[in-house]
Amino acid sequence: MSAPSDAGAEPGRPVRRQLLGRLVMAVWLTLMWVILWGDASPGTVVAGAGVAAGCYYAARLPHLPVRLRFRPLRIVLLIGHIAVDMLVSSVRVAFHALWRPAQMRGAIVAVPMRTDSDLLLVMVSAGLSLITGSLVIELNREEGVLYVHGTPVSSERSVRHLRRQVRRTEERFVRAFGTQRDIDEFEREEQELLRADEENSEEETR
Amino acid sequence: MTAGDIATAVLLPLGAAFAFTGTVGLVRFPTLLGRVHAATKPDTVALVLVLAGAAFQLPDPRVAAWLGLAALFQFLTAPVLAQTFGRVAYSRGEISTGHLITDELADAVERSREDDDGDGG
Repeated sequence: MSAPSDAGAEPGRPVRRQLLGRLVMAVWLTLMWVILWGDASPGTVVAGAGVAAGCYYAARLPHLPVRLRFRPLRIVLLIGHIAVDMLVSSVRVAFHALWRPAQMRGAIVAVPMRTDSDLLLVMVSAGLSLITGSLVIELNREEGVLYVHGTPVSSERSVRHLRRQVRRTEERFVRAFGTQRDIDEFEREEQELLRADEENSEEETR
Repeated sequence: MTAGDIATAVLLPLGAAFAFTGTVGLVRFPTLLGRVHAATKPDTVALVLVLAGAAFQLPDPRVAAWLGLAALFQFLTAPVLAQTFGRVAYSRGEISTGHLITDELADAVERSREDDDGDGG
């Protein structure tokens, strides 16, 4: 375990913390190994830890600074929401597959993301792509805009619904996994977006 | 018949039905993106339902961990596949615009092109 730390040595980060970051992944790999072998005897665990360390040594996996916080209740809620969204939109797509598939329409919408954390953005786009009705096409990292293809979308109203669903999914991920700083930033950006929306609608009414 | 058997009897056909509609959608949807939707996501639901149905018939609950792993890796890999398809399809222009209500990505691409032209001229 000690060898890769010089490969990915980051200035200003104590070695102990780097090792700790890798330890989580090593434990995860060991757990996989134990599950796949199907027995949790000490020999298997030691062999698994050896293989995990060997993988790290051979692949020189970089240390990813994981800045996440896990809130169990929020995560359970998030999984529940995703499961429901998946089921509902699967049924909708199934319906369209059987009834007049040629008339199904889609839409590509741009949704500005309020979080700026790389990891959270990855999680949000993976989560969105799991839900049947949506598929992330492109991510503009600089401006933090997600381009999502949604289907079935048939009118302006369902475009708005799709946009709302994307934003809600983002909020759920941020609240389940974000650190306090991520959440603060999220709320600040949200206020800014709301203000911008209000200004836009005022201009439109004029 | 035990409660577990009843759960299996409900979950397995339900999963099979989802897999079926996913495949039907793959054949019948006119657009590439519609097909990607049909091919990746109802199948994920189907797999989870089939695995859940199978879990009730296991002699040893420890084996359920393997089923859980199968579901987990499906969750991790399906979005990657879907996004790769979507991206490649879009950048190659394999998108039938007639089936889109709006395309805000095209607007953004157009805008950035104009910006580039402005810089060049």
